[in-house]
Amino acid sequence: MTDLPAATPPTPADDPTGSPYGRHVGLRPALDAAGTPATPTVTEYPVSFTGRADEYFRIWIVNVALTIVTLGVYLPWARVRTRQYFYGHVWVDGQNFEYRANPVALLRGYVLVGTLFLGYTLSTQFQKYWIAVPLLLAYVLLYPWLVRQSLRFQAANTVHRGLRFRFSGTVKAAYVAYGAANILASIGGIFALPWAWFMQRRYQLDHVEYGTARGHFRGDVAPFYVIAVTAVGIGIGLAIAVALPVTAVLFGTSALDSGSLDDLKTTGLLAGIIAAYVAFILLYTVLWQYVRAATMAYVLNHAELGGVVRTRATFRPWRLVWIGVTNALATVVTLGLATPWAAIRRTKYVMEGVQVRAIAPLDDFAAGSAERPSALGEAATELLDIQVGF
Amino acid sequence: MTGDAVPGVYFDGRRSRDYPATLTLGEQGVTLSVPDLGLTRVWSAADVSVDPAIPGVRRVVKFSDGGRYETAQDAALSAWERHTGRNRALSGVRWLESRWTAALGALVLAVLAVAAFIAFGLPALAQQAAAVTPRSVLAAFDRETLKVLSSGDYVGPTRLSAERQAQLHREFRDVAVWAGGGYPYTLLLRNGEPGGEGSGIGANAFALPGGTVVMTDQLVALARSDRELMGVLAHETGHVTHRHGLAGVYQGLGLTLVSTVLTGDLVSASTFAAAVPAALLRGGYSRAAETQADEVAGHYMLQRYASTRPLQDILARLESQDGDESPSVFDLLRSHPGTPQRIEHLKAMQRAALP
Repeated sequence: MTDLPAATPPTPADDPTGSPYGRHVGLRPALDAAGTPATPTVTEYPVSFTGRADEYFRIWIVNVALTIVTLGVYLPWARVRTRQYFYGHVWVDGQNFEYRANPVALLRGYVLVGTLFLGYTLSTQFQKYWIAVPLLLAYVLLYPWLVRQSLRFQAANTVHRGLRFRFSGTVKAAYVAYGAANILASIGGIFALPWAWFMQRRYQLDHVEYGTARGHFRGDVAPFYVIAVTAVGIGIGLAIAVALPVTAVLFGTSALDSGSLDDLKTTGLLAGIIAAYVAFILLYTVLWQYVRAATMAYVLNHAELGGVVRTRATFRPWRLVWIGVTNALATVVTLGLATPWAAIRRTKYVMEGVQVRAIAPLDDFAAGSAERPSALGEAATELLDIQVGF
Repeated sequence: MTGDAVPGVYFDGRRSRDYPATLTLGEQGVTLSVPDLGLTRVWSAADVSVDPAIPGVRRVVKFSDGGRYETAQDAALSAWERHTGRNRALSGVRWLESRWTAALGALVLAVLAVAAFIAFGLPALAQQAAAVTPRSVLAAFDRETLKVLSSGDYVGPTRLSAERQAQLHREFRDVAVWAGGGYPYTLLLRNGEPGGEGSGIGANAFALPGGTVVMTDQLVALARSDRELMGVLAHETGHVTHRHGLAGVYQGLGLTLVSTVLTGDLVSASTFAAAVPAALLRGGYSRAAETQADEVAGHYMLQRYASTRPLQDILARLESQDGDESPSVFDLLRSHPGTPQRIEHLKAMQRAALP
């Protein structure tokens, strides 16, 4: 849940209306006396993350205990507090981010979505398909709308320097990026999936607003194909590397086909099954982490806001894969107790590998219109495991 | 408490610019002072909201005009918060979060709660849910399961003679009447090896939630007396009256929910990793169900034949037919308690009943 504050592209922008305090740099580079565009000075602001594993561990375990004691009612407060911790510890140019969702709104969404989900699970279990099929259909039909709601909710509840982010993507565009693109991806598989990723990232970034400044994704579709092909190649390579020793073990044990060695055979078989199982989980984790990390780096390197702010990623995707895999191992080995440490470790590495480059002071943005979208989409994305963000 | 000017920064909510500011906290309200803007404003307590504290993050005070003041001086603001009675509940949460002893307590509580829920709560809940599930659902369950069974190569039509079938049905009626509960008990005799030796489900008997009991020809052949068979059938009615089948479905559902809550998602590496422990737990639940059904069968045997011996015998024969596997890691994964324990349990029942 808390991999990183996904909805905080730390990408503010500029204000075309001019500043009353004399510190404003316009949308276009100002003209100097000779009438030629002045070369804008680029200021690079590092992003820092000040969260600490020991501090977050206590927040996390108290969240878990309170959620259990209150039979889940505390869950929205726990989620909001976790996000507030992560957002609040991300600093750009001396100011931190803020997450400000209302837990009560989230709770309403959780109850509604949770009830529908439980209804669906129970009705499939008892083969009451006249309930299950319409519910599933409604979910599929509403999915792009839910994603849009979620993006709106996340953006509107992210604050930096007293200004909110906003997400202005239309419902129609959501149905293209998350409806049509996903349908094509499910038909076309690997040939269409990277295109769907591209459409979705573009939809997310092109409609982010910070105050009156608008986000823009300068990226192209081709690099998404490169990422996908790389992942497939690595997947095949690793699968072969893993399958060979496992098959050897299985063959070795079946060669010992004398009745007295039955126990040994059983043990060998069991070891083979466990090895294959662990290898599968590792392979899945590596590939998934790679796709995520490489996509995130590419997106951050091609995002801009209001024409004056760009982001740059200097974290290394493979290092992030290593962090992801070791995090997963640590979490499993400690029976989940390392979860907070893992979340802090990953967020710190990602955030401190991001730079914000601006040709205008970051304190010259102006507020846009304010609105409060409902928490339904947000609750749905958390409960139904929709992947949004990076 | 009052009078101290707390340093911080001010945002007017319309621009991203920060201004140095001070906030003076008073009983009735606060005074905001922003020298750069030449602004000094008194806000009444009702027009000010204070966000609950997050460890290590600047405190935020919001004003009703959209402006905000942020400060790293937590102590002063927390004192004012306490004094004016704001954010009581979340201040309590913060108090817990700042102590390692509280964290340790929370950890122990969480572990105990999860363990207790899996050991007692979930079976009890599942049993409750199974008990209130309508009969029509049970009947639908039976129908669907039988469809699956007959479509696959698990069972085929019985090869027993018509007289033998009628006899078994007659004897089963006695067990069914004894078991009670108002279930429409039906005995289905089937060939457990439709594709020849070693295929299908072999010598077996099982009950579906709605009261349908299936017994294979191979089990009938294995028995040396009908008492043995009636013992097995009584065991199966025990599964029906205690609604074990349905409770098992609910328990599976509950375990999925628990692992989703613990791992935080539905499909991921951690969910795969949780699959094995979940299977072990499910096996544990069904071992408890087997013991309970044996208990029912034992009572029937003692009442009818004054001995649990026939059931012990057929269990032992089933075991030796399955091959004498030495105890191995697979025992953990087996859903039934080991046969020796089951036989021992039946012997104990007999000793207790006949001093």
